[in-house]
Amino acid sequence: MMRRVANLAVFLIAILLCYGMQTTKPHYADLTGPIPAYGAISNTVHTRTFDIGVDKVVFARTLKFDQFGKQKLLTTGGVWAIVTANLAATKDSAMVAAATWRGPDGLSYRASERASLATGGLPMALDPGVPAKTRMVFEILPSQADEAMLLVSGKLFAPLDSEARIALGPVALQADGMPEGTVETYELGKTF
Amino acid sequence: MSIATQGTRNERTVTEQRWWLRSLLALIVLIPAALAVMSYDSVKTLLGNQDFFAQDVAWKSKARFGGSEWQLTDLRAALGRSDIPPDLVPILVDFTVTVGEPDLQKLWLGCRIMLIDAADRHWLPTGAVSFRQADDAKTCVSAMFSGAKSGDTLKVRETFLVPKDATATIRPAVSVGSERPSFLLFQRPQD
Repeated sequence: MMRRVANLAVFLIAILLCYGMQTTKPHYADLTGPIPAYGAISNTVHTRTFDIGVDKVVFARTLKFDQFGKQKLLTTGGVWAIVTANLAATKDSAMVAAATWRGPDGLSYRASERASLATGGLPMALDPGVPAKTRMVFEILPSQADEAMLLVSGKLFAPLDSEARIALGPVALQADGMPEGTVETYELGKTF
Repeated sequence: MSIATQGTRNERTVTEQRWWLRSLLALIVLIPAALAVMSYDSVKTLLGNQDFFAQDVAWKSKARFGGSEWQLTDLRAALGRSDIPPDLVPILVDFTVTVGEPDLQKLWLGCRIMLIDAADRHWLPTGAVSFRQADDAKTCVSAMFSGAKSGDTLKVRETFLVPKDATATIRPAVSVGSERPSFLLFQRPQD
């Protein structure tokens, strides 16, 4: 009798264990996703193929840049976030291709293609010992400026490859709801 | 009756033990074999993308690689460009290639010409600087699509941007899909 009860108990425990494993199983996309390399705005983050250090973050209502000899003005219903960063290849020539702005609510914004023709945007080819600078432009909601995370990787989809995740820190909001220090117009010049 | 049953049980046990051992031995062989079969394609792809084994080529020597004869003809710095920071040096690398097997699009697939320094840093051709090219100079990729026939001679030139500290030790290297994981590592010009 006791043996039967024990067998039943083992059987039930096995079922519970299997159910628990099934429900807590990580998704395949998480298992094969990018490998994060964390850092803050003040330090250099080392990934497998490149190093990145964020230089500054500027918020603007309007962007101005030259495109095919004509001046272009880009407005937005949100706010432009312009991130300038220093890049360096670690050991081999490498590409840096994708950047994402992740807000405090988890909203993710890919680098804007509206400003992709301005100088310094991604993708960018890096060579070892040759310093490079990039300027990534995001079109975001003002509420997503505070405690945001910048995600930068070598490829658009980087399974099982490292991805820089840089905490951009606190940003206070002005009375009009815009991030503090938002400039009226930011010019995406040839040099930066 | 009781003795007969005991005997059968013992016989079964011995047989079972034998099969248990056989199964164990089979698992020892089969598990690594299954892993090898399952990972064969992945390992093949990995090796097909990597440059692991360097074949040294002496200065002025030719080496047969990817069905053609490769010879390094020049490695020089292009100084005097005002648009390039003083601590960076554009490097021009010239090869003369005598085409053997003409199916270059297959044999040279994923063609990579690189510079490798003493610290094992690798540089790929740059798009940041460009120079006026002689009409007959081709890049590795444009040479693949040039329609060259067996016996033709191609001039292959690539441009690199390297820091000044690397110029003393850089060596040109060539890697093509049909030869990976081996690659050619050329000795620097001696004169």
